[in-house]
Amino acid sequence: MRWGMVVDLRKCVRCYACIAACRVEHFLPMGISWPKLVALETGGEHPMVSTYSVRCNQCHDAPCVEVCPTGATSMREDGIVTIDQDKCVGCRYCVIACPYQNRTFLSKDKDKGFFPGVIQTDFEKAGKKIYPHTIGTTEKCNFCMERIDYGLEHGLKPGTDRAATPACVNTCPAQALTFGDLDDPDSEVSRLIRENNGFQLHEEYGTDPSIYFIDGMIGESYTTTETDKKEEPVPA
Amino acid sequence: MEIHQWMINYTRQTEWIDRRGLMLWIAFYTGGLGGGLYLVSLFFNSIWGMFIGWIIVTVIKGGAHLLYLGKPQRFWRIITRPHSSWLARGFIFVMLFVIFGAVQLMFSYWLPDTSGEMVFKVLAGVSALVVAIYTGFVLNTVKAVPFWNSSLLPLLFVLCGILGGFGIAVIISINGGNVNLATAEAWSRWLLIANALLIAIYLWRAAGRETTGKQSVMEQIRGSSALVFWVGIVILGIIIPLIIAFLGYVIEHMAPGILVFGVACEIIGGLALRYNVLKAGAYSPLVARANK
Repeated sequence: MRWGMVVDLRKCVRCYACIAACRVEHFLPMGISWPKLVALETGGEHPMVSTYSVRCNQCHDAPCVEVCPTGATSMREDGIVTIDQDKCVGCRYCVIACPYQNRTFLSKDKDKGFFPGVIQTDFEKAGKKIYPHTIGTTEKCNFCMERIDYGLEHGLKPGTDRAATPACVNTCPAQALTFGDLDDPDSEVSRLIRENNGFQLHEEYGTDPSIYFIDGMIGESYTTTETDKKEEPVPA
Repeated sequence: MEIHQWMINYTRQTEWIDRRGLMLWIAFYTGGLGGGLYLVSLFFNSIWGMFIGWIIVTVIKGGAHLLYLGKPQRFWRIITRPHSSWLARGFIFVMLFVIFGAVQLMFSYWLPDTSGEMVFKVLAGVSALVVAIYTGFVLNTVKAVPFWNSSLLPLLFVLCGILGGFGIAVIISINGGNVNLATAEAWSRWLLIANALLIAIYLWRAAGRETTGKQSVMEQIRGSSALVFWVGIVILGIIIPLIIAFLGYVIEHMAPGILVFGVACEIIGGLALRYNVLKAGAYSPLVARANK
């Protein structure tokens, strides 16, 4: 079993809902964000914006696992790369080694509240108890492993049952994110990758990420392509 | 940086050089310098040099490294993964160097010319070499940063450390230590030339390593790091010490003040080299910018 995700760039509407969902799910301090939205403008006569919703790729050959001197970063049997914040010494070698820059060192100045220096909301107070973040250590996306573990314990199927599926996937209003087992050839993620030529970021580093992207036409959203097709002059 | 602009272009690493990362820069340099000085002092059998090298590694390098960590009280955990992490390997050898070096210094002071001294000289020497070289491996194993991903980097770091070691050996000699000044100067001359050549080859090779590698080199030569490169590395680190070294070859009795000035320039050059190597390390864009 190897959990993975497919991001369909044709469907992403750049709503930032995945980022908001993650912040709520993990009570993230305001100074950090586990998923990120990368928007790039294409050149040419008709420049357009393409968006990549990115997060820790849970690489199969993760450089962060290799370089971690304490064993705080490790890979579970299901392919999820986790950080034990009680073991992390905050050397940031993993932050440096990640070619995707998807790890964040939580320094004091990043541990911001919603209203810094004014008030701590009840939500934040609850978050400090439920999901404490340790200053001086490294953090990253963990595919909402708590939800996956809970779901599997209760006979649910991650990627299908919402209670066992990552928060960003549940929240995406455009269904641009799909979650499932990459080792299962019949899973939705495997089918999407197979049928749409799914690709990984920076394959040349040999990290074998567990997140695949579907696009085929970088810089052109699905909607734009359809519109452009309609505007093409009809041959006489 | 706006969230939507993140990693579209080549992105410089910041964790190991900006803000508290300066501590790591100091730790990286003093590791090389302390280890190099220890090796040079073993060559001259100078107990003062060994002691200063040991202090540099134990106090300055160790202290700076601890101050950099987010959770310094957990530092002992760093030894747990030497099979895959160069940081763990380096930490173990720093610890070994501290122990072996201390024992060897005690032998050299109280029981010189004994087999115990010889054994610990070998052990401390090997540890000192690893302390001087391991930071190069820490960086060169990072595939994500093309500028660092070079087998020349450990060689460059250890050479720079030994060069600094010979520099401090010259100062020890001036102050009456057990170091042959002429030999130290001669070695400094050759190492300065070798160091300059190695820096040039390193930059030339890095420029050919992906577009990002070239960007890192251009950043040094023409970009925001150019001042540190030309003034710190080239003028202070290479040209001035070389001039002084060759003057020493011609003039029989060089004024001690000039020699000390040359050594200070060498040390500034070494610091500048480490600074620029860390500062110019950059990642390739996360996604290719398409032009459609």
